[in-house]
Amino acid sequence: MAQHDIDRVIIGCQKGDEGCFTQLVDIYAKRCFGYFYRLTGNRDLSEELLSELFVKLVEKIGGYRGGSFDGWVFTMASNIFHDHLRFKQRQTRLLDEHGKRIMSQSAGTASGKNDDVDKLQISLGKLDNDVRELVMMRFYSQMSFKEIAESRREPIGTTLSKVHRGLKRLRELMG
Amino acid sequence: MNNSANENLRELLAGFMDESAARQTAENIEKGEEILGANQSPQPNERVLAEVKKNVVAALRRRRTVVFQRRMFGAAVAAAMIVISVLVLMRYGNQQNNQQTRLVAASIPASVWEGADDADVTVLKAEIENIQSELSGVQSDNTGTSGNTSVGDLETELIEVNGNMWKG
Repeated sequence: MAQHDIDRVIIGCQKGDEGCFTQLVDIYAKRCFGYFYRLTGNRDLSEELLSELFVKLVEKIGGYRGGSFDGWVFTMASNIFHDHLRFKQRQTRLLDEHGKRIMSQSAGTASGKNDDVDKLQISLGKLDNDVRELVMMRFYSQMSFKEIAESRREPIGTTLSKVHRGLKRLRELMG
Repeated sequence: MNNSANENLRELLAGFMDESAARQTAENIEKGEEILGANQSPQPNERVLAEVKKNVVAALRRRRTVVFQRRMFGAAVAAAMIVISVLVLMRYGNQQNNQQTRLVAASIPASVWEGADDADVTVLKAEIENIQSELSGVQSDNTGTSGNTSVGDLETELIEVNGNMWKG
């Protein structure tokens, strides 16, 4: 979809047009679902987070003031993922184990349902949480390194270094 | 899917390292992203998308209701403020009018009392002054009458006249 069409959809959403919100779901749902799935390794959980993301978008889209909309959406997606982790942390007080668990092959069994966990998912589970999230943000949001660094409030050199380290490790694991 | 954002990765990396290292780093990043692109994640099915859209529409309607309620509340508050302001202004205005009335009321007796038009008051005042001068004369024995009786009579007469004056 052309950028001016996306801009039109965004403006429609800001005016509260239901049809435009439906279009927004069609544009972003697959990428956002992929982002959540690669972070959690769990389809059901990814569906929940996806739904939560779009409900949040309805509430917050009035506050969007230009700039990269992809970046805005994926920053919100990242916040929702972190909220989820914090919620789980409060529940279990075992964030480290939980992070590994949800990213490992046993993630599906933890929810009582086996997902088709591919080799990539297993390899991603072996990366640091922060690096994994950064790599996924870069891949699914299509944001530039500069935009990612700004959204994470960290120097661009740090962002570049983490993404490079993560992808290089991924190549080794997948090789 | 390959992220683009129209940035020159090699040029960006060259700001942090030498040219060969930048080339190698860029290659690692590009190859890694190719792996991600070649291993697509599962896609949400149509049922999920329909559910998400349903939730979005419900959230949108909730938001509209909330916005409407907020506007109504705002309008109610504004109306209440206007009513209160009007009441305060009315009360304040009445207080000012009352103060003026009181000032006028306070000034009337003084003007009447001091006015030269009131003949009765003038006569009575003259009589009091006359009696007072007689009393002074008696006390200094200028009249030639027996002092104690005359003084007593005059005092009685003065009290009587004074009483009549206040009775009107």
